[in-house]
Amino acid sequence: MKIKLMVMAMSLVAFSGAAAGLDLGKLLEERINKELNKDKPTQQAPAQTSSPAPASTQNAAASPPSEKQKVDARQLGFALFGDYSPEEETRIGRQISGNLLGAVPLVRDDKLQNYVNLVGNWVAQQSGRKGVTWRFGVLDTEDINAFASPGGYIFVTKGLYRRLNNEAELAGVLGHEIAHVSQKHHLKVLKQSSLIGALGQAASSKAKDSDQVVQNLIGNGAEIMARGLDKNAEFEADRIGIVYAARAGYTPWGLPEVLQDLAGLPAKDNRTSLLYKTHPHPADRLVALGEAVDGRLDTVRGKELANRFYRIK
Amino acid sequence: MRTLLIPAAALVLYVTAASAWAAPGTVLRNEKLYAQPSVSAKVAGNVAKGASVNILAKQGGWLRVSSGKTTGWIRLLSVRAGAGGLGGAGLGDVVGAATTRSDPSRVVAVAGLRGLNDEDLKQAKFNADELARLEGLGVSATQARNYAGQSGLAAVNVPALPAPKPAQPASSWESN
Repeated sequence: MKIKLMVMAMSLVAFSGAAAGLDLGKLLEERINKELNKDKPTQQAPAQTSSPAPASTQNAAASPPSEKQKVDARQLGFALFGDYSPEEETRIGRQISGNLLGAVPLVRDDKLQNYVNLVGNWVAQQSGRKGVTWRFGVLDTEDINAFASPGGYIFVTKGLYRRLNNEAELAGVLGHEIAHVSQKHHLKVLKQSSLIGALGQAASSKAKDSDQVVQNLIGNGAEIMARGLDKNAEFEADRIGIVYAARAGYTPWGLPEVLQDLAGLPAKDNRTSLLYKTHPHPADRLVALGEAVDGRLDTVRGKELANRFYRIK
Repeated sequence: MRTLLIPAAALVLYVTAASAWAAPGTVLRNEKLYAQPSVSAKVAGNVAKGASVNILAKQGGWLRVSSGKTTGWIRLLSVRAGAGGLGGAGLGDVVGAATTRSDPSRVVAVAGLRGLNDEDLKQAKFNADELARLEGLGVSATQARNYAGQSGLAAVNVPALPAPKPAQPASSWESN
């Protein structure tokens, strides 16, 4: 019930600016404040009354040229009916990924990285998503998390990887992230933000200084990764992710077992603070998955492949 | 259907082979305990949402647990690891769940390890070298398929899981 209301609020937020507290709402709200304050301060007064964007967010993103900031029909049309082309999606994904890698580099272990790419690419082939070049990377941090960026860039942290026990668990984690890409969850967030103005054209190939415009679209650095998605998108990625893993021949129980493990971690662990900020609690994810799965996977058999699992030294 | 009838001997072997740990768990919804890891098996008892159980073994999508004097099999997704009841983990107050429930005995051990935070990500500067490294690591679909085949992995037809039924018509990710 509450979830449904939040979903509704989310779809309205671009117009009302009244959904403070939601991750997505916050993203849109900041954009709305930023953009509409310039052009229509009086008309959009309600948007300003909600929590203002942090000062640091304002700095860099406020710099784009103020010329074409107005909502025009073309942009509105894009936001309502358009879609990013595969090239645009890749450019957005590259920018986000390059920024994320600026915060935390890859683990210097080519065997590990190759292994994760071989497993991940196989799972991704079960998604049916065409026109994506999949890349997988293990990030050199003890933080426990995984990230997806449009265009098929998938990351898992060393801290999370260390907790995995077999290849099926890795496949489940990657399956969840692959689902974010196949369902275009991040693009949907960005697309909604494009409603507010010139940002809608940011990824268009006509733009001159392309990387800068894409950067303006996604915000500072890799902060889009710190905001997270709507929790329904996370539940959906869980449902789809375990199916991708099962279609790849693994046991579907890899991701649930990882969630089991995470649910047992202390809440105040620094390594999971970002994960908990951007995802529902693992116990809630297990409940949602349990309702979706029920007995539907009872006859699915799959492999765990504990022996082949590459262990970090 | 045939898979429901697993030879008893094989089952014993399987269970024994599975890790024989005993760990505390919390039941996430009202559930039955079955005598065997199958819904067609005899019901050995019931457990209520929030009940504490002891996890004895796992097999596929099932956990063998004991609750009081009763021992039986329960669906993996109906239990979460860790003691302490449902705590705040519930079902609505997600943020509260993540921040209020903790196991004080384990906090000390991990306090020294630093995680990623918002500032790290906001301050991040585009790193072209690392991105090039990442893009160089990609493998082809054929390479991945071959690697899967080496361990006997083959594509299986598994239908998508249904989205939860909405309480009322509302927009969703699919319809946006």
